[in-house]
Amino acid sequence: MALDLAWLGIFGYRFFQNALLGGTLAAAACAWVGLFLILRRESMLGDGVAHTAFGGIALGLLLGISPLLAALVVSIVSVLGIAYMRKKGIANSDAAIAVIMAMGFALGLIIISLAGGFNVELFSYLFGSILTISSGDLALVAVLALVTLAFLGTFYKELMSMTFDEDAARMTGIPVGAMSVAFNILVATTIVVSIKVIGIILVTALMIVPGLTALQLRLSFRRTVAAAVGFGVLATLTGLLISSAYGVATSGVVVFAAVGLLLFVAAYRRLA
Amino acid sequence: MTDEGNAPVLEVEGLDISRGNDLVVKGASFKILKGEYVGIIGPNGGGKTTLLLGILGTLKPDRGTIKMFGKDASSFDEWERVAYVSQNAVNFDATFPMTVREMVSLGRVGRRNLGRKLGAEDWKAVDEHIALLELEDVAGKRIGELSGGQKQRVFVAKALVRGPELLFLDEPIAGVDPKVQEAFYKKLSDLNTRLGLTVVIVSHDLTAVFCRMSKVICVSGEVNVSEITEGFEPSELLRKAYGEHFHFVYHRHECAGDFHGA
Repeated sequence: MALDLAWLGIFGYRFFQNALLGGTLAAAACAWVGLFLILRRESMLGDGVAHTAFGGIALGLLLGISPLLAALVVSIVSVLGIAYMRKKGIANSDAAIAVIMAMGFALGLIIISLAGGFNVELFSYLFGSILTISSGDLALVAVLALVTLAFLGTFYKELMSMTFDEDAARMTGIPVGAMSVAFNILVATTIVVSIKVIGIILVTALMIVPGLTALQLRLSFRRTVAAAVGFGVLATLTGLLISSAYGVATSGVVVFAAVGLLLFVAAYRRLA
Repeated sequence: MTDEGNAPVLEVEGLDISRGNDLVVKGASFKILKGEYVGIIGPNGGGKTTLLLGILGTLKPDRGTIKMFGKDASSFDEWERVAYVSQNAVNFDATFPMTVREMVSLGRVGRRNLGRKLGAEDWKAVDEHIALLELEDVAGKRIGELSGGQKQRVFVAKALVRGPELLFLDEPIAGVDPKVQEAFYKKLSDLNTRLGLTVVIVSHDLTAVFCRMSKVICVSGEVNVSEITEGFEPSELLRKAYGEHFHFVYHRHECAGDFHGA
């Protein structure tokens, strides 16, 4: 049987190259930030903030400014709001996320009704549209993802220390408060980066599933980070290829690929 | 290892510390000299951990003065000379992805190298301290896979890898069998002697304290301090702390030649 390699031709298209670049960077940032969220037991933070980004997107569309930029601002305000409520003892993590998440979605809803109906474009933000990413959005995604990755790489050992034991980290002179604020802002930027790839609704999958898959392997910290990033990128690339070959929704296939990897690795760990 | 000629590393004078509305530590006054091996004992809830946290600046004392290395604690800024292992250190999530070597390396992370990679010198110190606490065989293992005694030694290695002169340990008691505990005290004795490290440890093991240590601080609200010398008779000190009916049988020969002065 002759191997049909015609599908490889897709790599020659500009739109697919853009999608590969944006998807890979977003997946890497998502998986790395997400691993920290899992270890800090804040897995749902990403989901909560992503839902508030919906309000930001709607605001951007209404005002005629970049929806991703508007989402970035609203997400940063939300994530800091959640951190503030926790710190001041107004709510624990779960409850604070629930409040902010509802607020963000309500904001979006009010704006949509003010704008006089459901905007078709909004749909592409809810479920992602990496294959039609504009060069302006790609540039924003690439810059934010690279800033996120650079921060995580630079403060690798400090974040590892804080994630393990915040009090002990504080005693060694690490500025834990400032680093936490910076990390929370990264959560927001990462979500905005991923909205184009996978959409608001499914962003948690790209943040949490690769890290969870990596944790199954019981590796060192360094290798767990590398494995999480690897699984995230692999799932995204698989999703891109399959979705363009069969004309189905990219984000749906990315999630299936990510969860498929998780199940495979978890089963392998238990059977092998 | 009492050496009368040495300057005190810690001086506490008239220290009162409250938790909420309760005065937990009353009028603590004592000195710890360089190279001493000091046990803090006392009944549960007596204020041992409170005293330690007050000294470390985590709890704010109501009154009194603390001097670290001759400097008033309020202006003391050489915290790299002091290390602390908390009671809860070993109660971490067993699935946390970190090896012993990574864990010990966190001891080299701090303000001085913020945002920079650990250098060859840092890793050399990490490996030396892994060897010092006899953790070579498990260096590549994940911390969650270790036994209780091994975990204890990992946290001591992490505390010591920064090169402190004064080590505070709030002894974790859960899940460590007496033999392993005894080996741990022996190891601390050894570090105290070999490195001239001043060790202050909250302990529930009275035999270990009276056999191995040079000074005992007994905390039960009020704070009593005794040097432990040959022929030291602890009954009165212990009755003050634990009550009239407390009996502690303490035979010097059980120290098996490991008495700190021997």
